[in-house]
Amino acid sequence: MTSHERVRVKGIQIHRPVIYGNTAVLLTPEQRKLLTSPDHTHRWTVAVRSAASSDKSDQVGGADDITHFIKRVSFKLHETYPNPLRNVEKAPFEVTETGWGEFEIQIKITFVQEAGERTITLYHHLKLHPWTATGPDLVEAPPPDEAAKAGPVHSWQYDEVVFTDPYQNFLNTLTLHPPTSLPRTRRKPVPFHLSNNTLTALEASKGGTPEFNKEMEMEERARLERARQQVLAEREKILASNAKKERELEQLKKDLGD
Amino acid sequence: MAGASAADIRGILSLPENAAPGPSQMRKPPTKKPEGIPRELYALIGPSAPTMIAQPAKPRFKQKPNLGGGGSVRWEERPFKNPARTDGLVLKHWVKASVDPNEDYPFVKYNVKGPIYNYTSEEYVRLLEDSSWTKEETDYLFSLVKEFDSRFYVVSDRYDFPGGRPRSMEWHCQDLKDRYYSVCRKLVRSRPWSGDDASKAQLLSSLQFDKDREVTRKKYLDSLENRTPEETAEEEALYIELKRLEQTERRFKLEREELLRTLLGVESGLPGLPFEEEGPLGDPRKRKRIMEHDSATPPSASTPIQPRRVLPQMPQQSASSAQYDQLHCIFRPDPRMIVPSKSAHNIAYLRSGKMPYPKQSVAAKVTQVLTELDVQQTRLVMPTRENLLAYESLIEAATQLVEAKKVSDRLDQDIRVAKQRLGLRESAGETQERGEGSTQETVPMEQDEEDGGGQDGQRAGSVASSRSVKSRRTSQRRSLSVSSVDTMGAGRAQKRQKLS
Repeated sequence: MTSHERVRVKGIQIHRPVIYGNTAVLLTPEQRKLLTSPDHTHRWTVAVRSAASSDKSDQVGGADDITHFIKRVSFKLHETYPNPLRNVEKAPFEVTETGWGEFEIQIKITFVQEAGERTITLYHHLKLHPWTATGPDLVEAPPPDEAAKAGPVHSWQYDEVVFTDPYQNFLNTLTLHPPTSLPRTRRKPVPFHLSNNTLTALEASKGGTPEFNKEMEMEERARLERARQQVLAEREKILASNAKKERELEQLKKDLGD
Repeated sequence: MAGASAADIRGILSLPENAAPGPSQMRKPPTKKPEGIPRELYALIGPSAPTMIAQPAKPRFKQKPNLGGGGSVRWEERPFKNPARTDGLVLKHWVKASVDPNEDYPFVKYNVKGPIYNYTSEEYVRLLEDSSWTKEETDYLFSLVKEFDSRFYVVSDRYDFPGGRPRSMEWHCQDLKDRYYSVCRKLVRSRPWSGDDASKAQLLSSLQFDKDREVTRKKYLDSLENRTPEETAEEEALYIELKRLEQTERRFKLEREELLRTLLGVESGLPGLPFEEEGPLGDPRKRKRIMEHDSATPPSASTPIQPRRVLPQMPQQSASSAQYDQLHCIFRPDPRMIVPSKSAHNIAYLRSGKMPYPKQSVAAKVTQVLTELDVQQTRLVMPTRENLLAYESLIEAATQLVEAKKVSDRLDQDIRVAKQRLGLRESAGETQERGEGSTQETVPMEQDEEDGGGQDGQRAGSVASSRSVKSRRTSQRRSLSVSSVDTMGAGRAQKRQKLS
C-alpha cells in the first residue's frame, strides 16, 4: 500500500444503500415439535444486506456483495439466547434463529480495514407478528391462523452508509463495486414501514416478498412535501389572523388612550 | 561536625581492640591510607578495610612470552628439489637447522592441477561440433588452457591461432571460456560417471558458464568504472538529497500525527495518516476537474489558484461525471456549504442518524404538529439525502408555524387584557354582568399559557386543532396496541445519545 493511496479524497461523500431488518415465519405445530425448545413459535432471520433485491432469489435485498466495505456485522440478540453476541465475518451477514418474542437487536457494522472508519451501531426491533396499520385507519391484528396464511412477516429499514472524504484506495474499491440501483417502479410488494402506516401501504405490502424501489422514495418525498404545504397554508392563515389581531389590538390601545 | 574515628566506633561497640583509646591512637601515626579511598571513609573503616573495597595492588601482567630468548636459532642454507619441476633443477633456501633435511618441499601441496579434459576425434565428431570452431582451433585452445593452467586472461593474451577467425577483442576471453567450459560439460555428461549423481551435478555446476550474463556483468562493471568524477558527484548529491527528503517527510509526518493526536484524539481518524498538500496539486481528480473547468470558461473567470479566503466557483459538473457520480452514489458537497468542523475527518455514519431535529424551544410543539400530520419523527421510510432535505424543510416550516402560533397566542392575550382594561374603565357605567364576565376570563387565560395553546378554544376554526382531536385518539390507540412504535422510538433515542 503506497502512501499515495492513503490520501483522503477531499470534498466528496460516497454512500452505499443498505437495508437491515428481519423476516419471520410462523412455524407449524409439526415443525415446532422438531425444535429443541418447542415453545418457540417463529423462525426468523435478521440481516444486513444491500438494498436492491436480486431477481434470482426470493429475499428482500441482497443483490450486491457488500463485503468489499463491510468486514463484520455483530448481532446482539436477547440474553436468553445461547451465545447472544453473534459475529458474522462473511457474507451473508445474517443470523437465523427461532423464538417466541419480539425484542430489540443491536447491530454493529465494522468496516474493512482500508476504510479506516469506526464501527457504527444501529438497532432493529425484531418483528414476528403481522403488521397492523396503526395510523388513522386502524386494523386489528389478525388471528394466528390467518397470520399463518398471510406468509412471512417482513420488517426492513432502508438506510445509506455515508463515507466522507474516503481514502483513495478505499474509494477505488467502492467504485469498483457500484451498487445495483433500485427498480424505478414497483415490481413486487412494497416493504411496510411504520412511518407510512396507512391502510393502503399495508395492502401494498401484501402478496409475497417485498422489494425496495425508487417509487417509495418519491412517494415519501411527496408525502413530506404535502405535509409541508399543509403546514405552510396553516401558517399563512395564522399570519393573516395575526395581522387582523394586531390591528384590533392597536385599535384597543388607541381606545385605551395609551 | 567532626568525623568519628574508627577507634571511637570501636569504643562505642566495645570491641576488643589492640590499640589504646582514641586520643592515644590519634597521636600515633596512622597506617598509610591506601590510594583510592576517600579520607573520610578511611577514617570510618580504619586500616582493616573490608575486602569489598578494591585493593589497588600492583597490576599483574601476563607473563612475557618466551620467544626462545635463551639460545639463538640456527639457520642453514640447504639445497632442495621442487617436485613440480621436471628439469631436476636444484635450488638452495634457508631453513631452521632443526628441520629434518629429508622432508619434502612444503609448498608442493599447493601445486594442484585442475583436471584436464581430453577428447578423442570420435567424441569430437559426435558431441563437440560447433559451427564457429574447428577441431584444430579447439585443440589449440585446450593445449593453451592446459599450458597456462586455466588462467584465461593469459590464455586469451597468448592466443594466436593461425587462420582463426578474428574474434572481437573485447569479449575474446569470454568466447574462449564459453567454448572450453561447454566442451568440458558435454564430456562430463556423456562419459560414464563413477561417483554419485550429487557429485556429478556439483562438478557440472562448477563448469557452468553463462556467456551472456558474464558479458552483461562486465558491461555493468565497465560503465560503473567509467563514470566521470562529475557523474559520481552528481549521483552522490542526488542520493543525499533523497535521504534528506525522506527524512524531512518522515519528520513532518510524525509531527503532524503528533499534533493531530494531541488536538483531536480518536477523532483524528488515525492511523493511516493522510499526507496531503493544500491547493490544486492535492488531489489529481480535483485537479482534473479544475482543468476541465478551465477549458470550459474564459481564463479570466476561472479561479483554480486563488487566495484562500475567496470562495472558489463551484465547478460545473459535466453530464458524464454526474452520471458517474450517480452510479457510484457519490455526492460532492458545495465547498461553500461545508461547515468547518473541529475534527479532521467526519466519520462514516448512517444517513438516518442525521435526521434534523427542531429547535429545543419549540420541539414539543413541532412534534405535536408533525403528529397531527401523521409524520413520524423517528424514522423515514427511505432516508435518502433528498428525503432528509425534504424532511428538514418540513421541520423548518413547522417551526415557523409554531412561532406564528406563539405570536398569535400573545396577541390574543394582549387583546383580552386590553379588552379587560377597557371593560373595567367602562364598567363604571356598565351593567354588573359585563364586569363578572371579564373577571371570569382572567382565570382560563393563565391556564392557556401553561397548556401551550394545544386545546386553545381560540383556534377552533383551524385545521390543526380539528386534527388534534384525532391525534389524541390515535395516541390512545397506540398506547393500547403492540408496543413496537414506542420501543422503536426508545431505541432511536438511545442511538441519538450515542451519536451526539
